[in-house]
Amino acid sequence: MLVGFIAWLRKHIRGLRNLLVAYLLALVVLDFLLARHHPHYWFDEVFAFWAAFGIAGCFLLIKASKGTAHLFLSKPEDYYGSW
Amino acid sequence: MGAGEAWIHPGFLFLFGCLLIPLLRGRVKKFYLLLIPALSIAAVALMKEGVYWRSHYLGLEIVLGRVDKLSLCFAWVFTIMAFLGSLYGLHRPEDGHHIAAYCYVGSSLGAVFSGDYLSLFVFWELMAVSSVFLVWYRGVPQSIRAGFRYLLVHVFGGLSLFMGMMMRYWSTGSLAFDRIPTGAAGLPEYLILAGFALNAAVIPLHAWLPDAYPEATVEGAVLMSAYTTKTAVYVLARGFPGYEVLAILGTAMTVYGVFYAVIENDMRRVLAYHIISQVGYMVAGVGIGTAMTVNGACAHAFAHIIYKGLLFMGAGAVLYMVGTSKLSELGGLWRYMPWTMVFYIVGAVSISGFPLFSGFVSKTMTVSGAHEAGRPILMALMELAAIGTFLSVGLKVTYFAFFGKDSGKVAKEPPQNMLWAMALASLLCFAIGVYPKMLYVLLPFEVEYRPYTAHHLLETLQLLSFTGLVFFLLVKKLEPEPKVNLDMDFSYRMGAKYFMWFDEKVIAVLDAIWGEIWKILGLRALFGGAKASVAFDQVGIDGVVDGTAYGVRGIGGYVRRLQLGSLQLYIALGTAMVFIILALAVLE
Repeated sequence: MLVGFIAWLRKHIRGLRNLLVAYLLALVVLDFLLARHHPHYWFDEVFAFWAAFGIAGCFLLIKASKGTAHLFLSKPEDYYGSW
Repeated sequence: MGAGEAWIHPGFLFLFGCLLIPLLRGRVKKFYLLLIPALSIAAVALMKEGVYWRSHYLGLEIVLGRVDKLSLCFAWVFTIMAFLGSLYGLHRPEDGHHIAAYCYVGSSLGAVFSGDYLSLFVFWELMAVSSVFLVWYRGVPQSIRAGFRYLLVHVFGGLSLFMGMMMRYWSTGSLAFDRIPTGAAGLPEYLILAGFALNAAVIPLHAWLPDAYPEATVEGAVLMSAYTTKTAVYVLARGFPGYEVLAILGTAMTVYGVFYAVIENDMRRVLAYHIISQVGYMVAGVGIGTAMTVNGACAHAFAHIIYKGLLFMGAGAVLYMVGTSKLSELGGLWRYMPWTMVFYIVGAVSISGFPLFSGFVSKTMTVSGAHEAGRPILMALMELAAIGTFLSVGLKVTYFAFFGKDSGKVAKEPPQNMLWAMALASLLCFAIGVYPKMLYVLLPFEVEYRPYTAHHLLETLQLLSFTGLVFFLLVKKLEPEPKVNLDMDFSYRMGAKYFMWFDEKVIAVLDAIWGEIWKILGLRALFGGAKASVAFDQVGIDGVVDGTAYGVRGIGGYVRRLQLGSLQLYIALGTAMVFIILALAVLE
C-alpha cells in the first residue's frame, strides 16, 4: 500500500514538481500579505528575507563544506590504519 | 517533604533491576525488560517536588533525590526514552547488553537527581563505564578500538570534573551542586565546567562522539544518543546558566555539526554530528541564560532525545537489515523498507523543525529567545544550522539511502519490536508538535510562548522550503563519498600512533644503547662511586676518631640529608648521575 503510493508519486514527478514550485511562490506572496508584528532588527522588515537566507545559506554550506572536504578534510577510509 | 517521606528513585529501579535479567528467559524476560522502564515512568509521574534520600557520609551531605522542575523535566524524557530504547532492543540476545543499557540509563537518572558533586561524580563515571559496553558489544575491531578511545576521553573529562570539585571543596568546604554565579567562577569552577562540556560534546572536546557512536551496536547507539550529552545539558543548565562562553561555543557547535554532516558518508555518523549541532542549541540556550532560552534548552533536550532516538532507530534498522549504513553503498530502499523510511522521515522533519513536529516547538523557542535577548548574530548562525540540518538529515540521507541510485541491495523491514518502537517515537514527535502544551508544562520556568504564530510559521517554512530548492539544484554536488573526514580525534589518534612509533623506534633503540652504555661504563661508574664512598667513610671516620662531638653531629646531618632528603634532591642527584655517565661515555 505504502510502496504503491510512493511509486504513484514517483510516476507523477512532473506534477509534483509544479506543485512544489507553486508552493514556494505562495510562501513569498504570503510574506507580502502578512503584517509584521514587532520587528527588532533590520532583517525583520526585509521582504522574503528568510527565503533568501535559505537559498544563500544552503548554497554557502554546500560549497564551504564540500570545498574544505576536497581541500584537506577527506582522507581514504583506511587513513588511520588500525588506530 | 524530607528524607523520611517515601520516594522511589527511578534510576535505582534500573541499577538494581538489571540484576534479575540473567535469571529470566523468553517472554518473561521481554516483559520484564519493558516493565522496569514502565515502572520508572510511573515513579516519575507520582513524584512530588522536594529533597529525598538525604544522608551524611564522612561529614558530607549526600543528596540522591533532588526533585524540582528541572530534574523532573529530564527524568520524564529519560524514562520515556528508556521504554522506547528497551522496546527497540528487545530482540538482542546478550544479557550483558541489556545490563549495560540498564546501568547506563540508571546512572543517567542518578546524575539527574544528585544534589551533591560526590554522588554526581559516581553516577557520571558509571555512565561512561556502562555505555562503553554498548560500543564493545558490536564486536568488530574498529568498535573495540573506538570504545577504548571513548573511555580514555571520558576518563579525562571525569578527572577534570573531579579535580574541580575537590578544589572547590577545599576552598568552600561544601560539595553541594547548585547554580554557580558567573562572577564567582574561578579555576575549580571552570574545571568542572570543562568536565561537563566534554560530555556535552562542546567543541573542541567533541570528537569522541562522532568517533564512538557510529561504531556502537544498533540498539546501543539509540540509547547513547539520548543520555550522555543530555545529562551534560542538564548539569550545565543547573550549574552554569548565563555563561557567555557557552553561548558562543554552543552556537559554534550548531554550525560545526552540520558542516561535517554535509560531507559525511555514514548515516549514523551524519546523525552523530547532528547531536553536536542540536546539543549546540541547548548549550547556547543555557549560555544566553534568559528564562526563555533556558526553557528552550530543556524543551529542545526533551524533543531532541525522542526524535534523535527515532533517527538512530531508523538508521540502525537500515544497518541491521542491509548490513551497511554507508550512503555510498545504499540507495533505492523505499521499495523494501517503506515503513522504516516513513518513520525516519518523521524524525527528520522533527529535527529540521517543520511545523506540526516536535523540533519546531522547541528549537524556535531557543532561536526566538536569542532574538529577544538581543543576540542577532547568534540567532542567524542558529538559523544557518537549521538549514544544514534539513539539508543533511532531512534531504541528503533520505534521498541517498531510500531513493537516489538503486544500489541493487534487497532488504526486508526490521523485526516488529523495532518497528513498534519507531512508530511510538514518531507518534510522540507528532503529539508534541501539535500539542506543545504537554511539553511546556514540564519546563523549569513560567514563560508565555506561542510557537504557532503566522510570522513563525512563514519564517520557518520559507527557510526550509528554499533550502529544499537549493538541494535539488545541487544534488549532484552532494554525492556521498566513501572517505573519512579529519576531526579533532586526529590529534589523539595520530598522537597515539606517533607515540607508539616513537616508543618502538626511538625509545626501544635508546634503551638498547643505554643497556650497552651501562654494561661498559656502569661498572666503571660503580667502581668510581665505591672509591668515593670509601673516601667519604674515611673522612667521616676521621671525624669520629678526632672525637669532636661537633664533627659527629655535622657529618651525621650530612648523611641524614643524603639518605632521607627530599624527592627533588634524589631526582637532581639521579639526573647528575646520568650526565656523569653520559659524559664518561662520550670521553670513551
